[in-house]
Amino acid sequence: MTVPDEKAEPAVTTRSGEEAEPGGLPQTLATDPTADRRPPPPGGRDRYLDLLRALALVRVVVYHLFGWGWLTILFPSMGVMFALAGSLMARSLNRPAPSVIRGRLRRLLPPLWVFAAVLVPLMLYAGWNPVSDPDLGGLTGLPKLLDYLVPVGAPPYPEHLGSDSGLLDPTWPTDAAGPLWYLRAYLWFVVASPVLLWAFRRVPWPTLLAPLALTAVVGTGLVTIPGETGEAIKDFAVYGSCWILGFAHHDGALRRVPRYIAVSSSALLMAVGLWWASGHRGPDGWDLNDIPLAQATWSFGVVVILLQYSPSWTELPGRLRRWDGPITLANNRAVTIYLWHNALITAAVPLLDQAYNLPFMQTDTATSFLDKTYPFWTFTLVWPLIALAILTFGWIEDLAANRSPRLWPNGRGGRGNRAS
Amino acid sequence: MGPRNRRTTGTATGPARPSRSSGSSPSSRSLRMSGPAPRSAARRRRLPLRLLLPTLLLAALMAMLMLRGYVHSEILADHRIRPEATTDEVPQKILDGGPVIDTRDGHETGLRVPDHRLVLTFDDGPDPTWTPKVLDVLERHHAHAVFFVTGTMTSRYPALVRRMVAEGHEVGLHTFNHPDLSYQSRSRIDWELSQNQLAITGAAGVRTSLFRPPYSSFADAMDDRSWPVTRYIGSRGYITVVNDTDSEDWQKPGAGEIVRRATPKGGKGAIVLMHDSGGDRHQTVEALDRFIPELQARGYRFDNLTEALGAPSALTPVTGPDLWQGKAWIFLVQASDDITGTLAICLAVVGGLVIARFALMLLLSGAHSRRVRRKDFRWGPPVTEPVSVLVPAYNEAKCIEATVRSLAASKHPVEIVVVDDGSADGTADIVEALNLPGVRVVRQRNAGKPAALNRGIAHASYDLIVMMDGDTVFEPSTVRELVQPFGDPGVGAVAGNAKVGNRDSLIGAWQHIEYVMGFNLDRRMYDVLRCMPTIPGAVGAFRRSALEEAGGMSHDTLAEDTDITMALHRAGWRVVYAENARAWTEAPESVQQLWSQRYRWSYGTMQAIWKHRGALLDRGPSGRFGRVGLPLVSLFMVVAPLLAPLIDVFLLYGVVFGPTRRTVLAWLGVLAIQAVCAAYAFRLDKERMTHLISLPLQQILYRQLMYVVLLQSWITALTGGRLRWQKLRRTGVVEAPGGPVRRERAAVVSGDGGGVDRAPDRSAVT
Repeated sequence: MTVPDEKAEPAVTTRSGEEAEPGGLPQTLATDPTADRRPPPPGGRDRYLDLLRALALVRVVVYHLFGWGWLTILFPSMGVMFALAGSLMARSLNRPAPSVIRGRLRRLLPPLWVFAAVLVPLMLYAGWNPVSDPDLGGLTGLPKLLDYLVPVGAPPYPEHLGSDSGLLDPTWPTDAAGPLWYLRAYLWFVVASPVLLWAFRRVPWPTLLAPLALTAVVGTGLVTIPGETGEAIKDFAVYGSCWILGFAHHDGALRRVPRYIAVSSSALLMAVGLWWASGHRGPDGWDLNDIPLAQATWSFGVVVILLQYSPSWTELPGRLRRWDGPITLANNRAVTIYLWHNALITAAVPLLDQAYNLPFMQTDTATSFLDKTYPFWTFTLVWPLIALAILTFGWIEDLAANRSPRLWPNGRGGRGNRAS
Repeated sequence: MGPRNRRTTGTATGPARPSRSSGSSPSSRSLRMSGPAPRSAARRRRLPLRLLLPTLLLAALMAMLMLRGYVHSEILADHRIRPEATTDEVPQKILDGGPVIDTRDGHETGLRVPDHRLVLTFDDGPDPTWTPKVLDVLERHHAHAVFFVTGTMTSRYPALVRRMVAEGHEVGLHTFNHPDLSYQSRSRIDWELSQNQLAITGAAGVRTSLFRPPYSSFADAMDDRSWPVTRYIGSRGYITVVNDTDSEDWQKPGAGEIVRRATPKGGKGAIVLMHDSGGDRHQTVEALDRFIPELQARGYRFDNLTEALGAPSALTPVTGPDLWQGKAWIFLVQASDDITGTLAICLAVVGGLVIARFALMLLLSGAHSRRVRRKDFRWGPPVTEPVSVLVPAYNEAKCIEATVRSLAASKHPVEIVVVDDGSADGTADIVEALNLPGVRVVRQRNAGKPAALNRGIAHASYDLIVMMDGDTVFEPSTVRELVQPFGDPGVGAVAGNAKVGNRDSLIGAWQHIEYVMGFNLDRRMYDVLRCMPTIPGAVGAFRRSALEEAGGMSHDTLAEDTDITMALHRAGWRVVYAENARAWTEAPESVQQLWSQRYRWSYGTMQAIWKHRGALLDRGPSGRFGRVGLPLVSLFMVVAPLLAPLIDVFLLYGVVFGPTRRTVLAWLGVLAIQAVCAAYAFRLDKERMTHLISLPLQQILYRQLMYVVLLQSWITALTGGRLRWQKLRRTGVVEAPGGPVRRERAAVVSGDGGGVDRAPDRSAVT
């Protein structure tokens, strides 16, 4: 989930004059080691990376909806999204680091603020009292609420709110605010990127593999760091190598490794990850989200293979072309989709429950049919809801990026064109 | 070189020296190479068919293994047991009542067995070892009993269930694979019952109305978890039978103790729980042999349940479709058991073969390497006479310049004859434009590689003839090294060492490993055994007299290189391997290309073996080759690889259904053997070991591709299907020996014919 601005990256460089960053475009081209081999397409979008990002987003939604642990093996979305974001970060860092970081945060935060402006009052209204929440630690914990403004830590939320008989499942705050850890991780990666990139360009291999090694320490129970700090370090370690792989991809370093070495050794690493997972299965079995070391190694391997074969499409080939619109939309609204999807899944349930009241649903057969196909209907319903969220809140992403707001930016003509 | 420098231009109209290959048979004529054919829609449409048969075969095999895993309780097995729960919801009359619980039609009654009646019940069977012994004891004492059989065991040993029913015992359901039903959904319970019933019907032709839940004991042990299940099962029309006395024979407390526990007090009737399966049951059998006569002496009768209760039999005969369904089920399970057993034996044979082959290869290639490395080793007097090098080329514009230049740099005196087989991309013009001394171009209308080679032979001036491909690059010393074995007058042909140039891609690295092993292990072994099956088209040398004796190149097979090599063997010539004659070739870079190439090789090899099958009965050197070489080649290249998929199928089965750890370890063991062999081959060839890192992946991706190709060749061979192929898409990345590999990609015209680049004898499949 490459949150902000990757798709708008070229816009930043081409409009660098307006943004008072002299020489942005020429400098980018001149220092981009890949520039001579593959000139960036008009609009600057590598549609292969766009496809990966869209796939990752869909996978996240499906996973949160059905809870199938094996999806984390099928496609390690988080690793892929951090790698894509890392690649774009490396591209931006041709410019002075402070302005890049500022730019990233400016694009990330407003959508979060809007999300928080909806969620936090709802939680308070539903009876959450942050002052008396033992998880927050009373009054001293109140500053944690600031994480809703700048997520230096994952924003807090109550585990349970309401009752079983309520409209929503009592775990709804967890569902809605749980995915926000990603923003915290993203923020720290962005902040650390100048140093990471500097280190990577000097000592590539140790820098690339250090997060994996760190995962082996903090993600295996060898060393346990308590609290949110521990979580932050763990996430940083688990996905750090993927982020740095993004650097490697951008710098062309990945392509300089012979393919057979890259693919074979990632396959070995992935095998190690699976082996580790087999012996450390979590509450949901093979769900890698519960097994940090397996998640780190498996994601790393998959990302290496995906980026090693990275074909650099200027447009989607053949049969994929019909998906051009949705893919463009998903990329332009990645933050919105990610922020809102899980809350919407939760919201889909009471909506869908209304179906039981329909006149033709009053027979046992109809009810049991609905029972059995419930996840499918949730899945069907959640996409229109996401579309609604895009229409309602998506334009904030444009504002955050200093762009005129668009309602439905799927790249098809009008103001929603991706050429903007 | 005078006149030999003259370039032959213009289109020759017929071979100056006609090929003496025997006339094509009608069947092989259809396989003849024709002019370049565009990728036709027809070819596309045939694509699924070539996958269909192997896929069906594999699917059938997997289905069979699934069935086997299913009746061996390796799938769907659920070993959880519910701890005791409260009993609030169980009616008191059931807790206090008898062990025969009838909840049909809204009843809730617990019946007891009358005094002086004993009903022996045996759970979990039938067992192939202990059930017959139990039945023997019962028969000896004229006792009847009830056997609660599981569906899995019934499916596997139907004859025992048949015997139970025939000898007057009753059988009851004990579920299909023995889960704790209180954990299961209703549909699973229904399935457990019906599948169990199906197996009993298939085995003995009856239905039963008796049921005993797994992990059950006495009526008063019913609790809030098991009671709803019992009631539900009653609503399905079954009587649940628990027990009065539990022998706990599974603890093996000794026969005396079993008798003590089983005996009811004060002459009361009882249902006794025993087991005839699930372990060593000799104590149970021993106890029965004492228990029955003892209690019979005290006035007890041993009946089956309905006899004891004076009720109509619980078994009803089944006829019609239900019966046939049951019989079909039993038949399928038996068949899958038998076939799996056979396959396991095959697997052992294949495994043995593979390991024996590796051992033989290591041994013989070691011997070969020691022999040729000896200081005083020489083939004969040094060969210094000039050599004709034939380069058949079809649309090789990308590569031909590098090829010809590498030859021109040769340290051995050579004459270079490029035979252009009707190229459409100006291959011949490129060569002519080079204007190199000692290089001649012969053009012909597209007629296929064998014809081009025969024409080249006709144009060659010297008696030693080297053949190579238009996409291959020689080292300066290659030709010299290649012809040295001709110092031995018995040597008719020499195979060189083809190396993969484009080895940095994954598929290239896999082929590199394959080539290095094929040339340094297989070919050395074949050299020592004197049955080298193929001289690679990419690098080989022939004595003109040997070629003439064998009748030149032939169109009979798709693998003219294998064909001619076998013909030379039959003519009594030695065919040897020159490991220092290295030629750099470009391996296919796409799966599609690789598929076409390998399909041609493996089918061509089959054709060649078939063509030379007569050697089996010949006398002299031909007979020796027919009785030693041909069987070896057939075994290692055609038969053994066919069984190789079994390894993967069983690997998958083992990983999924267990024992996972042992399966993976066994696989890693085989991988280690492979790695050792590969490392040895790399060492012999002084190659860097880094490429071995792709060996594990090769074993789980590449090998499978190879045997699907082979399987398809078999199907083609058996159905006599036609075969066409695509020429390898050249990218022109192979340069000077081991030189840098350019990263350009260029699409090249593809079409039929030419460019048969032949490499490792070794089939990747084993």
